[in-house]
Amino acid sequence: MTTSENISTAKPTETKRGLLSSYRNTRRLQQIMILVIMAIGAIAMIAPFAWMLSTSFSRSANVAMPRIPTFWPSDPSIFNYKVAITNLPLLRYYLNSFIVTVSATLGYLFFSSITGYAFAKGQFVGKSVLFIILLTTLMIPFEIRMIPMYQLMRQLHLNDTYWALILPFIAGGFGTFLMRQYISSIPDELIDAARVDGANELTIYARVVLPLCGPPLAALTILSALWRWNDVLWPLLVISDRHLYTITFGLAIAGRSQGIFTGVALATSAIAILPLMVLYLFLQRYIIKGIMMTGLKG
Amino acid sequence: MLKRLRKSLIWYAIISPTFILYGLFVAYPTFETFRLSFFQEVATHQQFVGALHYVRLLGNRVFLAALLNTAFLGIIFLLIVIPLSLVMASLLNNLRVWPNFFKAVYFLPQITSTVAVALVFSYVFQPNWGLVNGLLRQLGVEPLPLWLAEPRYVMTGSRAAVTILAVWVALGYYMLIFQAGLQAVPAELYDAAVVDGAGPLQTWWLITLPNLRPTFIFLFITGTIDAMSRFSDLWMLGGPAGTPARSLQTIVLYMYQTAFESNDFNLASASAVILFLIVLLLTLFNFRSFLRREFSSRPGG
Repeated sequence: MTTSENISTAKPTETKRGLLSSYRNTRRLQQIMILVIMAIGAIAMIAPFAWMLSTSFSRSANVAMPRIPTFWPSDPSIFNYKVAITNLPLLRYYLNSFIVTVSATLGYLFFSSITGYAFAKGQFVGKSVLFIILLTTLMIPFEIRMIPMYQLMRQLHLNDTYWALILPFIAGGFGTFLMRQYISSIPDELIDAARVDGANELTIYARVVLPLCGPPLAALTILSALWRWNDVLWPLLVISDRHLYTITFGLAIAGRSQGIFTGVALATSAIAILPLMVLYLFLQRYIIKGIMMTGLKG
Repeated sequence: MLKRLRKSLIWYAIISPTFILYGLFVAYPTFETFRLSFFQEVATHQQFVGALHYVRLLGNRVFLAALLNTAFLGIIFLLIVIPLSLVMASLLNNLRVWPNFFKAVYFLPQITSTVAVALVFSYVFQPNWGLVNGLLRQLGVEPLPLWLAEPRYVMTGSRAAVTILAVWVALGYYMLIFQAGLQAVPAELYDAAVVDGAGPLQTWWLITLPNLRPTFIFLFITGTIDAMSRFSDLWMLGGPAGTPARSLQTIVLYMYQTAFESNDFNLASASAVILFLIVLLLTLFNFRSFLRREFSSRPGG
């Protein structure tokens, strides 16, 4: 802010050329100042992760931590990682996370898109009423219905199964809403043309509508994947079998248990976090675009 | 009419799985939460007890403290994150080198699971050798703050630590939304402001801020809902009781503790209903002021 004020306080006696170059200089100074502020923020964003990583490679961190934080271990070793993967079936946790996230997300995409298609292009009695009913449920946070959901899962004997982590989340009001908005913008002519050719509604959905829905499907994939992968409250209620822990939930349980060693704990965190970060590096453009499209976060 | 109904059948078939799942996992549980909150388990059946649980809750100091705590943590969080992210987004919007790099870096905590971040921060805030206190010691700060071990309302206590954590996590998301809002402000308005001789601060105050109103409202609505239902990070750091001294206990943590540690599903349901009503009121309040402003400023619609 202060640098841009300098523009108006530049001496009026200066020549036009001088003004222009002083303007350029203030612009440059302004850019440097913004860059410095942004860089300080970026360091604050990365430092905890970097410290985690550095400590996770230090065997002595389990016994005594240096009083002055370092970002390079004094005794680099992969000891903590060996302990972490022997202590916990982390690979199994990853597999569970993968199964749950992929199934729930595929289901979410399917049910959101096909229901969205019906509400965008279908003609049926009670369409707007049903849509409004769906929209009102968007306002009901998960936390408010979790107790009866837990009881329902027990009655259905779905506790401690993958189904418990998948089934409640495959039909989503938000997904349906987003898909309906997007599909509404697809011209009716395209759909009518297919109908004239004798295609039925399911064929039109699969062959005409879905191929055009890349952007909202990508956005919903990201949201659903982040929700399922990072969820901890619901697994806490319905999963007690260690073999069904997701990586996030397994990390949470390990981290909550008393007496865990610092180095091992941070190595476990690193194992849980880093693969996703690498994935994020490659997909960050799409992820950020998807988040901006929906306005929702993971 | 009959013909219309028959033509509707295929569509009903298409939407019915979604509605069945929705009924099962959204509508029924919500209804059941309300019902449970008016009943009491006696031996093996549920007996109607009217508003008993609500009376119990309103006289329950632990619940009221959790309610107050949720509100306190939420308000402090929003008061910090909204101005901070607005300033950072405005700066980033004017940065011509590596804007996308910074965007990606600031968004990094958002894709990391809350529990992983909370676990790392339990070490970052460790009083003796944690990252924060280690740096403060280098700067010569004495005595070093206790952070997560200090339950009182102080600037360096447990509530401050979890607020720093929440701001650190959410900053990138709030910046992203603000950036989208900033880019939606029509460029003509800025040109007009320059022609009228407005300085940068004046332009920001008179053009940028009023045009960001929808963004503010959106972030307030989503921010209050998130704050009211805060659970994972606090559970990770302080357990169901919000240790130390319940300084980190929120409504959802209280609800979890009541239902799954004390096995009082009815009381927990009543607290869920109260949470629901608060979220509903806050949303309607935010939304109403949003709609009123929007429509009064654009009489033509």
